[in-house]
Amino acid sequence: MFARIRRMIVKEFLQLRRDRAARFRLIVPPIVQMLVYGYAATFEVHRVPTAVLDLDRSQESRELVARFTSSGRFELHAVLANRGEIAPTIDRERATIVLQVPPGFASLLRKGRTAPLQVILDGTNSNTALIALGYVNQIVSRFADDYARDRLRRVKPELVPLLPQVTLEQRPWYNPDFNSRWFFVPGVVGSLALVIIANLTAFAVVREREMGTLEQVIVTPIRRTEFILGKTVPFFLVGLAEVVLISLVGTLWFDVPFRGDPLVLLAGGALFLSSMLGVGLLISTVCTTQQQAFASSFFFLSPAFLLSGFSFPISNMPTALQWLTYLFPLRYFLVVLRGTFLKGVGFGVLWPQMAGMAAIAAVLLTVSVLRFRKSLE
Amino acid sequence: MSAPAARGPSVAVDRLVKRFGSFTAVDGISFRVDPGEIMGFLGPNGAGKSTLIRMLCGLLRPTSGRALVAGRDVAREPEAVREHLGYMSQRFSLYGDLSVLENLRFFGGLYGVDGREFSERSRWALEMAGLVGREATLASQLASGWKQRLALGCAVLHRPPILFLDEPTSGVDPIARRAFWELIQQMAATGVTIFVSTHYMDEAEYCHRLALIHRGRLVGLGTPEELRQTTLRGVLLELACEPVGPALEALQDAPGVFDAAVFGDTLHVVAVSEESARSGLPAWLAARGVRCTSIRTIEPSLEDVFVQRLGGRDLQEGGAA
Amino acid sequence: MSAARIAALARKELLQVWRDRRSLWIALFMPIMQMGLIGYGASLDIKHVPVCFSDREGSQRSQDLLRRFQASVYFRLVAAVADDRALRAAIDGGRCRIALVIPPDFSERLHDAGGAAVQAVVDGTDDNSANVAITYARAVVSAYSADLRLDFLLRRGLGSQAAPPLAVEPRVWFNEDMESRAFIIPGVVAMVMALIGALLSSLTIAREWERGTMELLISTPVRPVEIMLGKLLPYFGIGLLDAALCVAIAVGWFGIPFRGTLAMLFWTAALFLVVVLGVGYIISILTRNQLGASQIALLVTLLPTTLLSGFAFPIDQMPAPIRLLSYLVYGRYYVTILKAIFLKGAGARALAVPILGLAVYATAIGVIATRAFRKRLV
Repeated sequence: MFARIRRMIVKEFLQLRRDRAARFRLIVPPIVQMLVYGYAATFEVHRVPTAVLDLDRSQESRELVARFTSSGRFELHAVLANRGEIAPTIDRERATIVLQVPPGFASLLRKGRTAPLQVILDGTNSNTALIALGYVNQIVSRFADDYARDRLRRVKPELVPLLPQVTLEQRPWYNPDFNSRWFFVPGVVGSLALVIIANLTAFAVVREREMGTLEQVIVTPIRRTEFILGKTVPFFLVGLAEVVLISLVGTLWFDVPFRGDPLVLLAGGALFLSSMLGVGLLISTVCTTQQQAFASSFFFLSPAFLLSGFSFPISNMPTALQWLTYLFPLRYFLVVLRGTFLKGVGFGVLWPQMAGMAAIAAVLLTVSVLRFRKSLE
Repeated sequence: MSAPAARGPSVAVDRLVKRFGSFTAVDGISFRVDPGEIMGFLGPNGAGKSTLIRMLCGLLRPTSGRALVAGRDVAREPEAVREHLGYMSQRFSLYGDLSVLENLRFFGGLYGVDGREFSERSRWALEMAGLVGREATLASQLASGWKQRLALGCAVLHRPPILFLDEPTSGVDPIARRAFWELIQQMAATGVTIFVSTHYMDEAEYCHRLALIHRGRLVGLGTPEELRQTTLRGVLLELACEPVGPALEALQDAPGVFDAAVFGDTLHVVAVSEESARSGLPAWLAARGVRCTSIRTIEPSLEDVFVQRLGGRDLQEGGAA
Repeated sequence: MSAARIAALARKELLQVWRDRRSLWIALFMPIMQMGLIGYGASLDIKHVPVCFSDREGSQRSQDLLRRFQASVYFRLVAAVADDRALRAAIDGGRCRIALVIPPDFSERLHDAGGAAVQAVVDGTDDNSANVAITYARAVVSAYSADLRLDFLLRRGLGSQAAPPLAVEPRVWFNEDMESRAFIIPGVVAMVMALIGALLSSLTIAREWERGTMELLISTPVRPVEIMLGKLLPYFGIGLLDAALCVAIAVGWFGIPFRGTLAMLFWTAALFLVVVLGVGYIISILTRNQLGASQIALLVTLLPTTLLSGFAFPIDQMPAPIRLLSYLVYGRYYVTILKAIFLKGAGARALAVPILGLAVYATAIGVIATRAFRKRLV
């Protein structure tokens, strides 16, 4: 039995060694993609392009604007002269945000009334807009606090230290600077492994079927379990090597911390790959042409990627869709990746993910062995 | 490697049927073949030869009927049967991106041929295929004659007592074809049962027995000699006539003529006897504006046999040689 | 160039697509699936963030604050944690994203020293969600703080001091509710077209090479340009159909505002399709086998159009070299165009730059495709 499996494995590797293009596709694009996407995937909001329309031109208004420009979050791109300039500024995307200080701003403040600061936002990118608005509120409320204290000091200075104020002291764990890259780099590792392995295995059997070589193998006394194992083990090893390669590039190049145990990641990777091989083999045994195999693998990949939590948190999805995510192995692997990279947690925390992937792998591999008939029909 | 499990015929086929949807590819074929025989499946493309062979190898499941190969039911025990057979498909189906030796080693591994036995068998296969010294060449880079012999080598590494060759010589040049057939004859001489499908009539002559297959049915079975003897109702004559078209038409109704068909620029005519044809036909034809320059008796070829068996019409549309 | 020959090729291609029901199915079902998945799945709008709390004071005040978190749609109090170990376990295991710690001397410090701090331990793994959640949390706390202050001042008869000095009056344009759906879905149209177009065209042509029928085609008097046009024409039609389907779902089902004109949408879509199909064509010529074609088609479509097109990730936040690279991703131009047409109702003038970019791209692809084909014949 092992002799036959070994022969199958040797054959797969020989073929891979011969196929320079395939080898290239397995090494260079993943690294390049890791580098590009590591930089590209970010939801961070810095340097929001900002325009200012100060219709009050008072000391207070200038002070307020200065707090924005010195915060590092906003970058002054234009100073407007009148209201008519607001629309073109936003339309042409010269600024995402316009701060408008209305006339009489300072006098309202001095009278102890509430002075409005109008903020016009391009909401096209809702996420950027939301975060930018959060920063605006933060700056404005600090300004307001300071002003309120000054105001009180002038009347009853002894009350100022007693003025109640509750602050929120944020203590982010795992990713203290809210660095998007730390979140996405482990995700890219998983996504690349997903795309590469699903595609490779989906073609594994179909290709031989279309080329005619499957026929010659089927007439030998090889058992179907031996055949399936012989076909999958090489891809499994290639996939594991890919995971290690991409993870190394990610941690070394992007300085993303790796706090956990590499063995935990490797175990998670092995389970993820097994479940992906299950998916690929199932596709490969069901389809009769490469085109069908490709279409099917694509059908799987697209939701697998979107519903994995790679960029869009699963907790934001409608409940029904959240249940659906449990069908896709990448969902579990991303938790393992982020858990080992950033949180440094081990099997104690990650066992449900491991179990999920193992279950998917077991079911799919069994089904594909059973479905694979040693015949041409 | 090992002898067939039971004594008796190597292969026994009983009313084998294969349907693909509404299309019947093999329609109730029965025959038996003894060890050491070369059995030829002869018929036009699409006649059902490949389907038949694939069923015998367990690649396709019969719709009904039974096939015993090496004493075992192929549909029920395909794995047990597979150890006793070698198969070479119509298409080149080795790995083009593996070298000659790697292909041999791979299939040797699958058949459980390894160690000393492998080195002995692979040396034999390389010599047989004339590929000694080219072990490292990629299979895809071989010329088609070598490819076929390499495929044969891979198929017989494990010394199967039964060998199925599906159109082994299609696309192979005539010299290589002859060499290939010599190999097959040698193997049969050592007791290997060989099944060969072909649509080359001249190759069919090399077979011990022939099964003529047309549209999934067995239309003739026997040695080439028997088929020739039993098929024709009279003698076969070759006529050289001008023009050919009207001649064929005229001959259909001629007295003492059973059948006529065009062969190249001559006509093959089955008649009661040579004498009656010589005396009657030239005049009959001349009266219909056809000039006949020669009439002679010829030995019927398998092609003639086939034409007779099918009534002439179907063969041409089937595109046989 | 002969229209008759192109038509003959196109007819054959269409017939093959029609016969190959599976591909047809993909071409029509895929947009629906993608729109549905992304429409529902691709949301950055966080709600009901699970919060654990450790109320170490247990006073009226601290309970008040927690109640405010409970009342907010953005948070959901899931569990009380007794100590730091339990807190760590809750965050490690992902049971909560935020853990609020109210110190034992919370009320005392408020009363005596004016200021008190509440700690929020945040799982920063998903930095964006964490950041947004913190923003919401800060808003809850500062509203609470303002109320305390108002109460403090009123009780001391300082009503004149009660008004908050400053108020932000936000006005959000184009995507008034700041819904991520409205921002993401228009880009999906481009994604679907890019994926389906490139895949179908590259695969079917690669198949023709693999089966050898391409050589047969070449041996006829058909000219390379005619082959290209004839083969791509049916996919062009399918692509436009997909675009129409996507727009219908976006507007009809998800209620995304559509403020531009359909004419504008479709002629830019046509331009985009030229690029997409051209890329598929080039891939198929270069690889000539289906496995290779599919891998490359995936490589140049799926991830680039999701990550580098501005579909979800803002391009202006990327480092300069990556920003430059994004100009190579043709999806980028059309995503910009689509978002502007949907949300801003932009016309050709406002979109001159991306349209020009797409046009340049289309021309280049056309030239490369015909060149590549001719070279392959030699």
